[in-house]
Amino acid sequence: MRDVAIIGVGMGRRWGRYEGSLIEMMAEASLDAIEDADTDQIDALFVANMGAGRINNQTALGSALIDYLNLFPAVGASIENGPASGGTAARIGYMAIASGIHDCVMVTGGEKMRVAPGPVVTDFIATMSHPQAEYIYGITFPALGAMLARIYFNKYGVTSEDLARIAIKNHTNGLKNPHAHIQQKITMEGILTSREAKINNPIIADPLHLYDMCPVTDGAASIIMCSMEKAQEISEKPLIRLAGTGQGMDTMAVHEREDPTFLKAVTHASDQAFSMAELKRENIDFAEVHNAFEILELAELESAGFFERGKAHLAVRNGETEIFGRFPVNPSGGLKARGHPVGATGVAQLCELVWQLRGEAGERQIPNNPKHAYAVNFGGFGNNVVVTILSRV
Amino acid sequence: MVEKVPIGYKCLNCGEVHYPKHGRCLQCKHRDFEEVELPSEGSLVTYTILKAPPTGIDKSSLILGIIDLGEVRYTGQLELEPEDVQLGMKLKAVWRKVRVIDGKSVSGFVWTHP
Repeated sequence: MRDVAIIGVGMGRRWGRYEGSLIEMMAEASLDAIEDADTDQIDALFVANMGAGRINNQTALGSALIDYLNLFPAVGASIENGPASGGTAARIGYMAIASGIHDCVMVTGGEKMRVAPGPVVTDFIATMSHPQAEYIYGITFPALGAMLARIYFNKYGVTSEDLARIAIKNHTNGLKNPHAHIQQKITMEGILTSREAKINNPIIADPLHLYDMCPVTDGAASIIMCSMEKAQEISEKPLIRLAGTGQGMDTMAVHEREDPTFLKAVTHASDQAFSMAELKRENIDFAEVHNAFEILELAELESAGFFERGKAHLAVRNGETEIFGRFPVNPSGGLKARGHPVGATGVAQLCELVWQLRGEAGERQIPNNPKHAYAVNFGGFGNNVVVTILSRV
Repeated sequence: MVEKVPIGYKCLNCGEVHYPKHGRCLQCKHRDFEEVELPSEGSLVTYTILKAPPTGIDKSSLILGIIDLGEVRYTGQLELEPEDVQLGMKLKAVWRKVRVIDGKSVSGFVWTHP
């Protein structure tokens, strides 16, 4: 297999609410990636999106974006894999280049979610759950996050304060990220301990509060990958190698898992990616993790093998996961602050990894020239997970 | 009228009981199953009180939980007062209308005091 490099990344304008069309939004991110890579000579485009057929009345987005941006003769397709669509599309792009079928691939993820009312968005996300065993009962993803959190609280002594600490850290990082949807400083008093906190930060799915969850966001992100050989020829940026990719699965119904706090798919996907990259956990300088709910930041870090089970919250208490900590997590602000337009998230994680590894992350730059970075893109409620490891060459 | 009880799907090759239904056994990949009646009482593994129920549920607050029936677990709605819910508590399944989906009323198991 050939080595693959990421030579261009882009996210368009700041995430939040986008007034134009889904295709226009994805086009802006794609053009940023083209400008960053300084080439539009791509052979294929994979578009990552989950719900446009349902909430934007548009399907076959790969064809639409190639047409809109005149990327002809590039070929393309849409990839739908729930919230892991972005990571999956990047993985497919990697396969296409590594195998020699294509030389240069663009992967653009996007989701325009704010057109639909809140309950409709929540329900569209819930269509990933098991139709007969979960969906009919009104299971929502916040409900699944809350049921996971309750077991964590009971089993490992994690508290609402711990989740609030993670939210505060991610908001602090988001304030330094010009792409982040949520740019708001929050404090423990404001969201948990003061009298006003009950109004500012109500319980949504007990024990989870509003600030334990990601917002509903419009956004897009794009990367351009090519063979390492071609990257060495055409790219003037620091070369970033896609060193490892992995994907893991688990049962669809959460109640069928032996231990619902153990995210087996995260472990499997991580093991594959580390083995391929020939790296150990301690070689990783920072991580972007899929914190649709802050409890997932803990559960994923543990299931990925960065912390012992039931111990990640202790590292958070010690400040280890802050930008200047021992092991920074979600320097972008993660899904909590950057936002979570589902199809875009996995691609945006890779954009952040590239910016940090190149030393281009501005105010949120992780110090000491990070060399190896990890991203986990969590699909379903953990039944389909993609892990990517990038390394600066 | 006979009370509906929770059903599991027992693999006719290895005996593993599943819920929900799978096309092939999660243990041995065998394709034939028989429906078996499960105990209608179990204990509460985890729960949430959802203040933002999705479309098709005409309530401002909905309690959802996972119930352990021994061989398998069920996910379902809880018909309890929020202050009465406790981890590990015993619950019994009753058959109720649970949600309206695409204009049609859908029934399922709701869990309440035995």
